[in-house]
This record gives sequence, structure tokens and C-alpha cells, in this order.
Amino acid sequence: MTVSPESYVALSAVLFFIGVVGVIARRNPLIMLMSIELLFNAANLALVAYARAWVNNTGHVFAFLVITVAAAEAAIGLAIVTMTFRRSAHVDVDEVSALRG
Amino acid sequence: MIVFGILALVLIASAVFTVTAQKPVYSVVGLLANFIALAAMYLTLQAEFLAVMQIVVYSGAILILFVFVIALLSSGTRPFEVGPDKAPRILIPALAIAVLTLAGLTVTALHTPITVVSTATTNGTTGDANAFGSVANFGAALFTTNLLPFEVTAFILMVAVIGVVLIAGDATPGAVEGRRKKRRPGVREPIVKALRQAQDDNG
Amino acid sequence: MLLLLIWLFPLVGGVLLWAFGPQLRSWAGPIGSALIGVPFVAAVMLWGDATTGAGLNLHLVSWLSGWAFGLQLDRLSLVWTLIITGVGFLIHVYSMGYMDGDRAYARFFAYMNFFVFAMLTLVLSDNVVGLLVGWGLVGLASYFLIGFWFERPSAVAAARKAFVMNVVGDVGIMFAVFIIVAKVGSIGYADIFARFATAFTQQELFLVCLGLFIGCAAKSAQIPLHTWLPDAMEGPTPVSALIHAATMVTAGVYLIARFAPLWSASADAQELVGVIGALTAIAGAILGCAQWDIKRILAYSTMSQIGYMIMGVGVGAYDAGVFHFLTHAFFKAQLFLGAGIVIHALANEQDVRRMGGLWRRLPFAFIAMAVGVLAICGIPGFSGYFSKDAVIYGALVTGHPWLYAVGVITAGITAYYMFRLLFVTFLGAYRGEVDPSDLGIRHPELAGTAASSGHHPEEEEPHHHAPSWLMSVPVGILIVPSILIGWLDAGGANAPWQRFFAGFFPRVAEVAPPLGELASTGLVLAVVAIGIGVAYVRYGTRAAHAGAVARLRGETIHMPRVLVNAYYFDAAYDALLVRPARAVGAWFVRVFDPHVLDAAVREVAISAQWLGHLFRSFQTGLVRAYALSLAFGVVCVVAYYAFAFGVGR
Repeated sequence: MTVSPESYVALSAVLFFIGVVGVIARRNPLIMLMSIELLFNAANLALVAYARAWVNNTGHVFAFLVITVAAAEAAIGLAIVTMTFRRSAHVDVDEVSALRG
Repeated sequence: MIVFGILALVLIASAVFTVTAQKPVYSVVGLLANFIALAAMYLTLQAEFLAVMQIVVYSGAILILFVFVIALLSSGTRPFEVGPDKAPRILIPALAIAVLTLAGLTVTALHTPITVVSTATTNGTTGDANAFGSVANFGAALFTTNLLPFEVTAFILMVAVIGVVLIAGDATPGAVEGRRKKRRPGVREPIVKALRQAQDDNG
Repeated sequence: MLLLLIWLFPLVGGVLLWAFGPQLRSWAGPIGSALIGVPFVAAVMLWGDATTGAGLNLHLVSWLSGWAFGLQLDRLSLVWTLIITGVGFLIHVYSMGYMDGDRAYARFFAYMNFFVFAMLTLVLSDNVVGLLVGWGLVGLASYFLIGFWFERPSAVAAARKAFVMNVVGDVGIMFAVFIIVAKVGSIGYADIFARFATAFTQQELFLVCLGLFIGCAAKSAQIPLHTWLPDAMEGPTPVSALIHAATMVTAGVYLIARFAPLWSASADAQELVGVIGALTAIAGAILGCAQWDIKRILAYSTMSQIGYMIMGVGVGAYDAGVFHFLTHAFFKAQLFLGAGIVIHALANEQDVRRMGGLWRRLPFAFIAMAVGVLAICGIPGFSGYFSKDAVIYGALVTGHPWLYAVGVITAGITAYYMFRLLFVTFLGAYRGEVDPSDLGIRHPELAGTAASSGHHPEEEEPHHHAPSWLMSVPVGILIVPSILIGWLDAGGANAPWQRFFAGFFPRVAEVAPPLGELASTGLVLAVVAIGIGVAYVRYGTRAAHAGAVARLRGETIHMPRVLVNAYYFDAAYDALLVRPARAVGAWFVRVFDPHVLDAAVREVAISAQWLGHLFRSFQTGLVRAYALSLAFGVVCVVAYYAFAFGVGR
């Protein structure tokens, strides 16, 4: 038997909140970035599931674009991390608080 | 059904491992497992091209980038999160509420039927050039209907590349200071300055 | 083209002298004078064109339909143009002597040229808007020139007063223009006169005339807007001669004469103007008897004479009113310039009580002043005789016996105070060395004496000097028309003046006068003779000269308060307008500003500050806190869509 689209969407939601927890709870920027990749993937899973359910490959195209943007995001995020923590022993985003008002 | 169950378990377990790992390198491994499982999941959804892209772009490019950065910072194997947690106190209850809400949504989503246009496993087997989700099918959609978003994405990637070069190009504090007298203030100087200021402020 | 030249030359002069005054130095005077003299010659050359038919028209620009701006030189504006440029030229020449050595020599001529330009704009414009522009600009020029010696607070106050009062008049004219534009739909004189009869109801016509007359009253110092004119004597004497005697103050006469068709159609407006004119004439004359400052005496006499003119044009005797303007421009300019010679010679002494016996020292000034006095009193043969008689008799012919009576009485009073001025100033013994308190001058600083005025700071010691030829020649030239110009109107209907204006003004219904013209002249002359006689007995006899000091002292002390205070007009304005305005202002300062306006601003600032503090607390600088807010927002959005659109349905 086939798996219902609802299952895919529910799985996507679970992955999404695991990612959210990762972003919020962890202090290592690298793990935060990886959690963000998890978020993208969760979203992509939902998109592909809906595309399959409605037989509309616009969902695929959108997921492809998300992958592209994720690549760009990862590159820039890692560049910032590299520059910020090049000399620092501790890698902790809480140390970067220049935006404090 | 069984395939979906196994893949779902792998996905969730690897995601949890990624988020909770003690060292970034472990996280990368967890993430790799997650990406591969997701690619397999795409195959069950007849998104062949996306499955391939998932492997190539995520596992092949992005994860390698992470690994490089970890190696570069040489902090990937060290324990971290040793300092005091500066997160606001509201974080824990807020997190709880967010998790509960998302959990509620998940449950609701499971009980909400999605109108399915066609549940048939499509005509033909995977590998059929004109089947839904095949490379030909996907390429036609990408280069006709969605050409403009595609081009815009190319532009975004270009901007990202330029940005990365500017931000991480040659921004060691010593290098900047050594050349400051000879150079006009460039685009990245303010950013570098702000971030170094932040470092100084915090320790 | 010549017309454009007449109009623009003074403007060029004004700008040139204003911009390059310091570089031009002593050339400023000759250049300024020449730029007035050339337009005079040009105006004379245009005499033929201006007097044929409707005159000369020059279209400049069109704006909306009915809004065509242009210049117009017809017989009425020709008279004014000739006086403005002709007398103006003589006064410019005179000023070269009078203002010699003043620090702001070039600035003076720049203002004078600017004034002439403004006045020409007023009289040459062929539409009401141009007239209003000129009307405002002459007020501005007058403001500049009254406040010319701006180091003196009194001059600044006088300038401000004149300007404010003139603006009251400008507003009156503005409303008249509004009504005209709304009803007639055009601003050109020709259109207005062609259509006003059908466009206006009688009430609207009266309102238009009233608005215009408010302007006249302010500019021509008619009651109750006259109080600025005596104060305006703070300006240099040539300014008083040009602006506050010869030209600007007669703009009201021009305005009424220009709008003669409107006035002739509105009996109420005529009545109002006639009464106000007569009232001003007699009130000014009576005040002239109570003044000791030579220029203020002349100022009140100007006010009184303009009252005559306004009365003349008001009752419908337009050509008589305009003729009185013409003669008055000459003899009053001459009187002022003669007074200027006296003031200049006595180092800015203006109080006649401290003069006396000057005919020996300043015989030329004496002759000039005497001719002017004879002319203003209407002695037969002199110019005033013809014009004033025409105005007074015009009131009778048009059926206003009461105005006629007032005119006759005013003529007698005029004779009295003018001869008093002449006797006190030029006859008897010189009283300059007498202690001011012996003459009853309690506050020299308020009486226009040289002891305090000092408007030539470079003249430390009062020293007397003879008039330079630059000052005497213009006065000498002015003597001729002061005597002779009146003969233009000699000879009844065939007189040159009558032929000049034949058919120009609307005719007014005449009534059979109860007195013949000759009998009326005799009556006026008798009254004038009485006035001269009284002045002679009081100030002219040998006995009067002997006891002059004691007599002047007594008169000063016993002068009726109501006259010294000029009928309390200033006090009334102070009580009715200034004090309430100040009270309202004080209330605003004390209550409204701090507790409403400032408070509002302050509260806004405090709110912004408070909000800033609030938002500042969100900016923790912790990336994870931002991520949390973001997640919270996502949860909210997802929840909204889930519950609003889909889940569970």
C-alpha cells in the first residue's frame, strides 16, 4: 500500500522542530548552521510530498531553488563563522553580541 | 510502507543526533546520514532528479564545506559550550511552547486528509523519460515556466560568491592592519571592524 | 518701447545702486538722478500719444483668460508720471546736496529709485493686480525710507507703523480685487469699466468702492488711518517731500480718479469718501495749529490738503481733485525742500520754537517757503488759489453744501497755521540760544530738537551751513510751477486743464449753486484773510516778536491736551488693538505655549524615548534570542493559517 501524504507532512514537521530546537538551544555556530540545513530539508520534504500528491512538479522546481539558496546560505554563514572565530578557542555565538542595544 | 517507516526512523534519529552531538564532526556525520535518507525518501516520492541533487549538492558540496571549516577552525574536535549560558530565561518556556505547538500541528496534520489527485505509482517504472518527476519532466518545468526564478537564483548565487570572497577573503586582523596604511578603506573594513569590536568587547 | 523705458529705468537704477553702491561712491547720486530724469524726458515725448483717444497701451504678458498684464499711459497716468519723474528728479538732485556725507548715500538713492519704480508700476499698470503690486511696493519703499536712519528707534517704530497701516489698506484693495475678479472675470481696467454696470449689484459696487477706499485711506492718510503720516517725518526730508507729500500719499486720489466710473455709479461711496475727505481736511488743519515741529506741521498740512483732494474726487469733481494734486505736488515739495534747507542749515533743528529771525540768514529759504505758503493758502495768482477753489466750489456744485462749508473753514485754518509757521520761523529774533525750558519744551527728546535727534552722527557740533547750489537750484525751479501752474485752469471751460481732461471723467449731475463762483471765491478769500490776520496779530507784529519767548512758552503749556495727543487716535489704537493683542500674546506665552504646544512636543519626545527603551530591551545581541523570536513568529503564522484555513475541516 502507498503511504499517505499526511505521513510525509507530519515527518516534515517533526524534522522541522528538531531543527528549530537545534538552532535555539545550541551555542555552536556550526551546529546551528547544520540545524538550519535540517530546516531546509524539512521544508523540501513537504514540498516534494505535496508535489507528488498533486502531481505538479512546480514543487520540485521550488525544492531545487531551496537547495540552491541553502547552498548560498551555507557558504555565507560559514564565511562569517570562519572570519569571526578564526582565532577564538571557544566557538560560541553568545560571545558575538555587537548588536546589543 | 515499510520503506517509509525505516527511512523516517533513520531521518529522525540522525536529526536528533545532529542536534545533540557534542562535537561538530559528529554532527556532520549525523547530517550525512540524514541527507542520504532524505534522498531515498525523495525516490519513494518519484523525485528522481531531486534525489540526485540532494546527494550531489548537500552531501557532496555543503557537507564538505562544513568539514573544511571545522578543520580550518581546528575547533571541531574540542569540547564546546563551556561558558555560561547567556540565553534569556524565557528561552526554556518559549521553547516548550514552540515544541508543543509544533507537536500539536504534527498531530493535526496527520489527521487532516490531503486531497490527492493521483495516488497511482504513475505510468511506467522509474527511468521512463517522460514520467512525472523524471529529469526530462523536471527540466521542462525549470526552463520554461520557471525560467525567471531560475535566473534570479543564479544571480543570488553570484552575490553569495562575491559576499563570501569579501567577508572571508583575507580578513585576518593582522593582514588588515598591516595593509591599512596603503589601502583606501574598502567595503569590508566596516564589517571587519564591527566584528572585531564585538570580539574585543566580549573578551 | 519708450513706455517700457519709463517703467524700467528706475528699477535698473535701484538694482544698480543697491548692488554696486559702495563702488559707485559719489556717482550714486548723479546716476540715480539721471535714471529718473531720462524717464521724465521720455514721458514728455509720449505726451502726444498719451493724450489722443484712450492713450498708449503696451501689452506685456497674459496669464489666464482675463489676466492680461500691460502698461497704459493715458491722460490720468500721464499727469502722475510727469509729476513722479519730474518732481522726483528735482528731489533727487536736491538729495545730492542734502544727503552729502551720509554714510548710506548710495543706499538712499537705491531706495529712492526703487520707490519711483514702484510708483510708476502703480500708475502705469492697466489692471487692478498690477495696481495692487505697485500699491504694495510703494508701501515697502516707504518703509525702507522712513526707517532709513535705522539706528534711531523712533525711525524704526515709525517705519513699522507706516507699513502696518499701509498693509491694512492693501488688504482692503485686495478684497476689492477679489470681488472684481469674481464678478467681472477680468482684471483689466477696460473690461471692468465696460462690464461693471451689469456685473455688480449696488451693494457689491459699494463693497468694491469701500475696499478700494480703505486702501486710499491708508495710503493717503485719511481718517482713521492717518496716524502714520506725522510719524513718517522721521525719514530724511527729501523723502518727506517726494513720498509723503508729492507722490505716494496722493495714490489714493489716483485710485479714486482711476475708478471714477465706479464711484460715479455708487452714490453711497461718493458720500462716504466726500465726508471722510472733508473730515480729514479740517482735522489735519486743526492739528497743524498745535504742532511745533516744522516737518510735522507740514505733514498735517499734507494730510489736510489730501483731504481736499479726496473730497474733490469723492464728490465727483475729479478734474479739480487731480488738479489740486498737481499744484500740491509742486508747492508742498517746495515747502518741504525749503524746510529741509532750514533744518540742514540749523544742524537738524526741527522745532520752530527754537528758530526765528531766519529770513536774514536764509533769505532764499524764506522766499521759497513764503511762495509755498502763499500757494497753499490760495492767494490769488498762486497755484493753490485755482485748484483749491475748484475743489471747494466743486463740492457746492455737486450738491454738498456742508462739505463746502467745511472746505471754506479749513481754508481759513490753513492760512492761519501756515502763516504762523512762516512768522515763527523766519521773523522776530533767533531763539536758538534760548534755554529750551524757557520755551516750554519739557522733553527735548520728544520735540524733534537737534539736541537729541542727531541723525547725522558725523556732525558732532551743530554748525550752520549755507545751502549748496544742489539744494537751491531744485527749489528755485519748483518756485516757478508753484506760482504758474495754476493758470492752466484759468479761463473757465476753455482752460487748458479743462480741455486736457475733456470727456475723460464721467460727468456728475450738477445742481444750481446757491452762490456764484465769484461770490464763493470772495468768501474763501475773506476767510483766508481772517486766518492770516489772526496769525499776524499773534505772531507777526513787532509786539509779538518782542514777547515771543514768553508767548511760545505759554502756548506750549496751555495747548489743549486733545490736540497735543492728536485726538487720542494713537491712544485709542493702543487701547483697542495693541493692548488686547499684547494680552493675547502674553496669554499664549504664559499658558498656551508651555502647556499646549511645548507640552505636546515634549510628550511626543518622551513617548519616543519610552518606546525606544522598550524596543531596546529586545535587542539583546544574542543570536539565539533572535532565532527564538523568529521561531515564535513562524509558529504564529503557521497557527493562523492552520486554524483559519485548513486543519480540521
